[in-house]
Amino acid sequence: MILLENVGFSYGKNEIFNNINLNIKKEEILCVIGPNGSGKSTLLDCILGLKNANNGDIYIDGKSIKKYKINELAKHIAYIPQKQTSSFPFKIIDMVVMGRAAYVNSFSGPNEEDLKIARNALNYVGLSGFENRFFTEISGGEAQLVMIARAITQDTKLILMDEPTSHLDFHNELMVLEVISKLVKSKKISVIMATHFPNHAYFFQNEGINTKVGILYEKRINYLGKPDEILIEENIKKAFKIKSKVLNHYEDNKKYNYIVPLLTEKRKL
Amino acid sequence: MKNKKIVRIIIYLLPIILVFISLFIGRYQISINSVLNILKAGITGNIDSVSDIEYSLIWDVRMPRTILAILVGGSLGISGAALQGLFRNPLVDSGILGVSSGAGFGAALAIIMFSGIFPIYLFSFAFSLVAVILSIRIGRINNSNSAILLVLGGVIISSIFSSLISFLKFIADPYNELPSIIFWLMGSLANASYREILISAIPMLLGISGLLAVRWKVNVLSMGEREAQTLGINIKVYRWIVIIFSTLATAGAVAVCGIISWIGLVIPHIGRMIVGNDNRYLMPVSIALGGFMLLIIDDFGRILTGGELPLNILTALIGGPFYIYLLKKTKEGAWR
Repeated sequence: MILLENVGFSYGKNEIFNNINLNIKKEEILCVIGPNGSGKSTLLDCILGLKNANNGDIYIDGKSIKKYKINELAKHIAYIPQKQTSSFPFKIIDMVVMGRAAYVNSFSGPNEEDLKIARNALNYVGLSGFENRFFTEISGGEAQLVMIARAITQDTKLILMDEPTSHLDFHNELMVLEVISKLVKSKKISVIMATHFPNHAYFFQNEGINTKVGILYEKRINYLGKPDEILIEENIKKAFKIKSKVLNHYEDNKKYNYIVPLLTEKRKL
Repeated sequence: MKNKKIVRIIIYLLPIILVFISLFIGRYQISINSVLNILKAGITGNIDSVSDIEYSLIWDVRMPRTILAILVGGSLGISGAALQGLFRNPLVDSGILGVSSGAGFGAALAIIMFSGIFPIYLFSFAFSLVAVILSIRIGRINNSNSAILLVLGGVIISSIFSSLISFLKFIADPYNELPSIIFWLMGSLANASYREILISAIPMLLGISGLLAVRWKVNVLSMGEREAQTLGINIKVYRWIVIIFSTLATAGAVAVCGIISWIGLVIPHIGRMIVGNDNRYLMPVSIALGGFMLLIIDDFGRILTGGELPLNILTALIGGPFYIYLLKKTKEGAWR
């Protein structure tokens, strides 16, 4: 599906990361975690073609992303931002149908068919009846679902998300995660997600999704693998310089994993 | 949905109706019957039965003036809407990249250097393009591609040209040239004739059609550069399309009518209150509302003074209260 080979990026002489190797398959979620400023967003930008990797190459379906035109790439990768900050209060349906931009001719707008796809996407994320409401008057969680609906409308096999739940409360956070889980399972797409919450990776693994987690720090993805193999106390200690504890509980004979941060390294219990 | 369609149709009809009404307005009174006869005569070509003076007043003075008002107002309205979408900023107007101040400088220079009206059009059009090109050059410093730098470039170039205009005012002959410069800077349709329409309609219509063609893409551009590109829009290409066509439309308008403030800033807002933010409807509606508003203002000017009142005096005086009324009255699509 998507393959990163020795990808490196630097701003001038300031190297952000190098030698990033990743391979994301169908129906797989990759959670990229790492400290602030470790380059998670920059890595997403490289995959999206917004920034050009200085080293290495990124392949989608075996073809380097440099060889894709902008609208062709948009048919393969959709992007969900941390927060949409539109200056104009658009209607929800108008926002979602923008997902068809890559398919619409140069000098025209979306047609009935595009609108139908957009409406179906809204139904899929559970926002039927929201069509004519304004993007500025819905909650943060609903806004993120609208962004997911827009990505579905874009009809791609891969969706990139940049901290999609970073400003949401518990309920909204879970609501968004559940929709992502449903998306991967039923539409068989892949997701790359930058997140500050290691538990997101555990959440997807607990849901039975093929989940990988990569910890990006000190310019490398130093750990890569299944959440319960990677998100362990020693690794978290090295990456984030904190003490943490992995917990689990059983419900209906199923094991659920979590990790909780306890203390920064300097402090003692 | 049906209601909204009716509202839009009414908005599109407004300027057409107003053109007709405007033919009756002026210092020289012509009865309704005569106007209708003259219109008929003009269409059928049978002009024997009507007065020559009245015929020429309707067909050669009032008609071109109203048509020019619609074209100029429409150009400013749609350019404002397009640029506000592109720069994601509702405070942007059609002159943001220096078009207006460049045009003002060109006109002032032509007034000082030459006599006659044609050099004014030429210089003002040429310098409005020069101003935009300079703004773009500044926006490209450091190879950056950001829209903010482009706006900054426009602000810098605008203020440089404003200073140059002041300088030209300072050195101008205070009895002839200075009043001409000041009058031009306040905007006027007084020179309107078919010649003015022929000169300016080409850039204006070209600009308007170009902008209309990409109006849905402006929706996508207003999501911001990152999102627009990941949605599959080549932002560089579409940004140039929007800038080039809005510059053509605005430059064509200000070249023959002088600087007209307010229309390019506020008409898109009024449009948003009525039809919402979708540029597929907002941009055509901005043409109709811009034309309608400029023609109303010109009509008022002619009714109030019986002569020539510069447009900029009335744009905000009439448009301002109307805008406040709408702000109180409407909820949908307004700012929250």
